[in-house]
Amino acid sequence: MTTIQRAPARESGPAERIQWAFQDTVTMTWRDLIRTRRQPEMLTFAVIMGVFFLLLFYYVFGGAIAAGSGVDYIQYLVPGIFVITTLTGAQQTGTGLATDLSAGVTDRFRSLPMSQFAVLGGRTIADAARNIISVVLVAIVGYILGFRFASIAGAIGAIVLSVGIGYAFSWMNAAIAAKVKSAEMVGMLSMFWLFPLMLASTVFTPAEQMPGWLQSFARWQPISVVADAARDLSNGLPAGDTVLWSVIWIVGLLLIFIPLSVAVYRRG
Amino acid sequence: MNNRPTPVSPVEIDDVAVRARNLGKSFGDTVAVRDLSFDARAGEVMGLLGPNGAGKTTTIKMLTTLLPIDTGSATIVGLDVAERPDAVRRVIGLAGQSAAIDEKLTARENLEMFGRLYKIPRGERQRRIDHLVDRFDLGEFVDRIAETYSGGQRRRLDVVASLIAAPPVLFLDEPTTGLDPRSRTELWDEIGDLAAQGTAVVLTTQYLEEADRLSDRIVIIDEGVMKASGTSAELKEDLERDVLEVHVTTRTDLARAVEVAGRVASGVSSDPADAGLQIPLKDGSDQSLAVLRELDAEGISISDFQLRRPTLDDVFLTLTATGGDR
Repeated sequence: MTTIQRAPARESGPAERIQWAFQDTVTMTWRDLIRTRRQPEMLTFAVIMGVFFLLLFYYVFGGAIAAGSGVDYIQYLVPGIFVITTLTGAQQTGTGLATDLSAGVTDRFRSLPMSQFAVLGGRTIADAARNIISVVLVAIVGYILGFRFASIAGAIGAIVLSVGIGYAFSWMNAAIAAKVKSAEMVGMLSMFWLFPLMLASTVFTPAEQMPGWLQSFARWQPISVVADAARDLSNGLPAGDTVLWSVIWIVGLLLIFIPLSVAVYRRG
Repeated sequence: MNNRPTPVSPVEIDDVAVRARNLGKSFGDTVAVRDLSFDARAGEVMGLLGPNGAGKTTTIKMLTTLLPIDTGSATIVGLDVAERPDAVRRVIGLAGQSAAIDEKLTARENLEMFGRLYKIPRGERQRRIDHLVDRFDLGEFVDRIAETYSGGQRRRLDVVASLIAAPPVLFLDEPTTGLDPRSRTELWDEIGDLAAQGTAVVLTTQYLEEADRLSDRIVIIDEGVMKASGTSAELKEDLERDVLEVHVTTRTDLARAVEVAGRVASGVSSDPADAGLQIPLKDGSDQSLAVLRELDAEGISISDFQLRRPTLDDVFLTLTATGGDR
């Protein structure tokens, strides 16, 4: 007769749980970065979306918009495109995670002695890393079209805020994905937030050119606020207020969607 | 600290690795599992046998903390599954129905990831991975991306991934479904080896052959309810009947043969297609001689006959038959 060796008969305490959360998030980030590297089409798609909007608005509407406002339109447009690019990347967090959650490997994660937060945490961090690359690539295309940063610090600030708001929206999409668990559904639902946020914003045109009822939404919604901040930073304009409001939006969204998505994921 | 008043009792040092008591689970109005109790012991393979939708996977999911237990209780090496899910997760390995591996990672990366998540220290992790790769013969594909694997390779990696922390209790949910016969036999050997080394294996299957060949003990479930349990031999014994199969030479004799055999045994059935009779017998050899003598005396010529012990198929079909013939 075989006997069973004594098992560690304990539940994890809070300290160990926090340690698990860090350690496992590192592991899951490593895993998701490998996956990202092996799916270059995800990176390509986000960059192409950004470049597509950049070229479309620059060449099709650029003249008209610039004529009305008297600004150099490429300097106006490119920082907003950074935000559009990370937003597209954030949407991919949702579709990717939904696919991942319906795959068998998630069942194994749930049966492991690990932080369940890390499953979402690793994914969002890896997507943020991908978003940094996307934004830099869009900046290079912008450079070819004549866009210039006013300073290195401004460039870094603009990129950090763009990636930051993308990270916040990644968590929103993680919550959606954990709820609906279908990439198709996540994709369809994104039409309801992605396009309104993208088009009813100050990314392509200043709010003054919109109908009055739309102006306050377009001025204050997170994409506009961050696009304005990124634009101010890129162009070396005073950016205190816009940066502050950007940080408030990013932190606020994270405070809502991190606990929410982890709770939804845990419930299964 | 909010410790329990009594120190956590040492895990019972007996050989019961999995103890399920009156387990129940419903999804809305559908009862998936009802009042299911069984033990699985260290060094044994416990087979949960049942048709599709019998509640096997639901049972495994409850035992592995993936689904909350509605009624009843379960312990894994003495740890209550509902109260100590973290502790339970440290001592179990699970290979699910769909290969639970990351398709975009290589086998080695998969094992590295699961080893890290189990918090196995680096050096030990490397040794363990090398050992498993060697033992389960993953060498030829260990550094290829998993999405290029054959079904057998994928399943093999899946089982190996569940072994990375050398768990004392291993759950395998239909481990050989979809495998070709050769991969299946190989996996059977490996599962047998694990049990021989002291692992408690709980395995679900819808293949009778698999349960018969691998399991030390079998629990047959259907529609969420236990129908029978015991060793494969005990289950066959329970059926308590041998079957004499007789084929008559002349098809027109068949009806008369049924009547003659009916003098000795009850429940005789016939199949006109191959002029065969199936005669269930309580006392195999004596009664079969009596039947054959009677047939001979009536001048019915026999082309061949065979005395058959019940197979697990007979047991299974009898127990899980839900049709109108019972």
